[in-house]
Amino acid sequence: MSALPVPVESPSTVHVTEAERAQLTRTFSGAPGLWGWLTTTDHTRIAKRYIITAFGFFLLGGIDAAMMRLQLARPENHVLGPDLYNQFFSTHGVTMMFLFAVPVMTAMGLYFVPLMLGTRNVPFPRANAFGYFCYLIGGLFLYIEFLQNTGVDVGWFAYVPLSGPQFSPGKRADVWAQTVTFTEIAGLIAAVNIIVCFFKQRAPGMTLGRVPLFVWAMLVTAFAILFAMPWVATASQFLAMDRAIDTHLFNPAEGGDAILWQHLFWFFGHPEVYFIFIPGLGMVSSIVSAFTRRQVYGYPVMVLSAILTAVLSFALWVHHMFATPIPQLGQSFFTAASITIAIPSGIQIFCWIATIWTGRVRFELPMLWVLAFIFEFVIGGVTGVMLASVPFDLQAHDTYFVVAHFHYVLIGGAVLPLFGAVYYWFPKITGRMLGKTLGLWHFWLFVIGMNVTFFPMHFLGLEGMTRRIYTYLPSTGWGPLNLTASIGAAILFVSVVIFLVNVAVSLRTGAIAGPNPWDAETLEWATESPPAPYIFANIPVVTSRDGLWAQRDERLVMTGLDPSRRMVLTTTIHDAEPEALHEHPDDSIWPLIMALGVGAAFIAAVYTPWGLFPGTAVALIAALGWAWPTLHSPEKVDTHR
Amino acid sequence: MIDPIPTRAVRDVSELPDVTFGHRSIAWWGTLWLMVIEAGTLVICATAYLYLRKNFFNYPPEGTPLPSLGTPIIQLVVMAASVVPMALAARAAKRLDLEDARMWLTIELVFKAAILVLRWYEFKALNVWWNTNAYGSAAWITLGFHATLLLLDICEDAGIALILWSGDARKRHLSDITDDAMYWYFTLAAWVPLFVMVFLYPRWV
Repeated sequence: MSALPVPVESPSTVHVTEAERAQLTRTFSGAPGLWGWLTTTDHTRIAKRYIITAFGFFLLGGIDAAMMRLQLARPENHVLGPDLYNQFFSTHGVTMMFLFAVPVMTAMGLYFVPLMLGTRNVPFPRANAFGYFCYLIGGLFLYIEFLQNTGVDVGWFAYVPLSGPQFSPGKRADVWAQTVTFTEIAGLIAAVNIIVCFFKQRAPGMTLGRVPLFVWAMLVTAFAILFAMPWVATASQFLAMDRAIDTHLFNPAEGGDAILWQHLFWFFGHPEVYFIFIPGLGMVSSIVSAFTRRQVYGYPVMVLSAILTAVLSFALWVHHMFATPIPQLGQSFFTAASITIAIPSGIQIFCWIATIWTGRVRFELPMLWVLAFIFEFVIGGVTGVMLASVPFDLQAHDTYFVVAHFHYVLIGGAVLPLFGAVYYWFPKITGRMLGKTLGLWHFWLFVIGMNVTFFPMHFLGLEGMTRRIYTYLPSTGWGPLNLTASIGAAILFVSVVIFLVNVAVSLRTGAIAGPNPWDAETLEWATESPPAPYIFANIPVVTSRDGLWAQRDERLVMTGLDPSRRMVLTTTIHDAEPEALHEHPDDSIWPLIMALGVGAAFIAAVYTPWGLFPGTAVALIAALGWAWPTLHSPEKVDTHR
Repeated sequence: MIDPIPTRAVRDVSELPDVTFGHRSIAWWGTLWLMVIEAGTLVICATAYLYLRKNFFNYPPEGTPLPSLGTPIIQLVVMAASVVPMALAARAAKRLDLEDARMWLTIELVFKAAILVLRWYEFKALNVWWNTNAYGSAAWITLGFHATLLLLDICEDAGIALILWSGDARKRHLSDITDDAMYWYFTLAAWVPLFVMVFLYPRWV
């Protein structure tokens, strides 16, 4: 890692005065109070909102799961009837996949990618606010409908013909379709923000080879979102049209095709697993690096593995459909592809192990979650390789073996790193450390709870217990293992309550963190904790992959951004050389109004296709208000055009 | 608390421009990825259209007439012609010539309005309703999703034109015109394979 030849024009020591900081704070802070809350475009505030909202949905999805486990704790139980059970398991799946896992991961990216890249905000701050409000409206819509007995009851995948007009009269499947659309809008906006931030707003000197692995992971995820999410967003509109205006895309009686739905859904649905899991890999890399005090071993291999994982994730969707009439050649191809994806994942695991092996490890709380991740994720990975084999898949298809597999992958591969990341970055976001004693209780109960809950499900599946059944007979002999799983769910529940208590207590009395409590190397640790509204008073300069570790005695910056304007520096794609300045717009109420318009349009469309129009009109007016010029500072035009 | 490590400035960037065009502009990148998303939705429509072919002996199915070609060909000609005012608007924008840019953009809007009206007649030229059979549904959604792109672009154009005529325009809006032109070329280019698929392909199979 050679040092960057930074063009030193006028080397001088920089002292940012209190007056300059006050000016920057005035420029970047929004209005106070409720108006400021509604209009802010500050990415840290919006991402924090995303994270809190996503954890709120995590709790709701957890309560859905607890109800299911209560019902299944013993044979012939009557806590929930079949109809309500269907709504609970479907809402659980929709919540965890669309309202928790993806949003919380993109939110971590929206918070930390700009900080780690050394910039002040995402490139499209108003779109960022709009995306959050869309997500919130979609999530609230799902649960308000659930409380009115219009809860989704067609699974998170909404297979036709079950979800079609013939077998799902009423509005429950429409609620699924529109909830999905809202969250896809939010996801796509987040993806574009992350990609453009990566390409154009990296700190000077942060060449592609110096980008932190978490940011690479978020870039790869954002691309996966960009190519996958349109599939479900469009397919869900196809379904809505089949239901509302009698198109026949999925109606076999008129030449439509139910299997087409499965292709469209899983072409999105399989990569979705990876855009939950790849950010987790990035979080693990950040934590491993900080707590072993060395760079993660095999940086180029790590980056290429993440890219390869994302690319391959688009080539496996059919393994969800092995029980449909797929040609044998197709089966072989998708089996091979499904097994192949274990290779880049395995390479990353070995790189982390090599890093831990050769580093000076500190067993702080974030690191414990990483170690648990490696262990649990490997279990999920191994059962994944088993399920990639068609003969085995046909036996285990739609059984609890699959439920066990994907909970190990998703909880092991995403939730464990996420909790590690929360312990790691909580000091940056709040300025205070999370408590260690409660943290240890949270950690151990969570890891024990997840194994007690999900490990028995492997055996239940192999014994033939199918998914999505609301009860079973005593003669099946599944009672004891189900009771064990339900006890595990209770342990998980207690663990999450302890986590919430820890957060509440630490917010008030946690130790003050300071800018860099872990002595980590990435640029977010060069900011205050929590970051000031302007994030960086001057734009940091990166001289090596070691980031802050390479600038222990002296930090390098670039100056000259007008403190009275919301300026960011844009840089070239490969070498991150300064290219131009870009002024961000002021805070605005229009993103909220536009989200309300879009929300009204989609929600009204559930009840009548004509309902689309009033909301759309509001959204269009809001778009004009949004785009109307509010900046009046002088402009200097680039001569390259 | 602020990190106490001393800081040294290596460059003053205040002289850099703050209005950029093309790939140097943030908005250009936003437009590019929007195009990728929109292309995705069109690929999905085409996937559905071609996938459903296997469910019919004939495409269009027995009893469903072939789509007409007259209006769609007129549409293609108008679309091709619309490139001219769009390109002239973009060139004027790059010269920072506000008057010319907004004039050509307004002329372009007339073309785009005509294209939207012609799209209505293209639906009729399919000679099938969306609820007749799956073939009809797939043809309608293909035209329909592409029409949403046209509509989006017209709204964007109208918004920019309004700002340019209002007197509140900034130089960065001229850069927006060049991004808008890129998006329009994409919308037109995306239509060509879809036109072939919806209006010509049924004649070959």
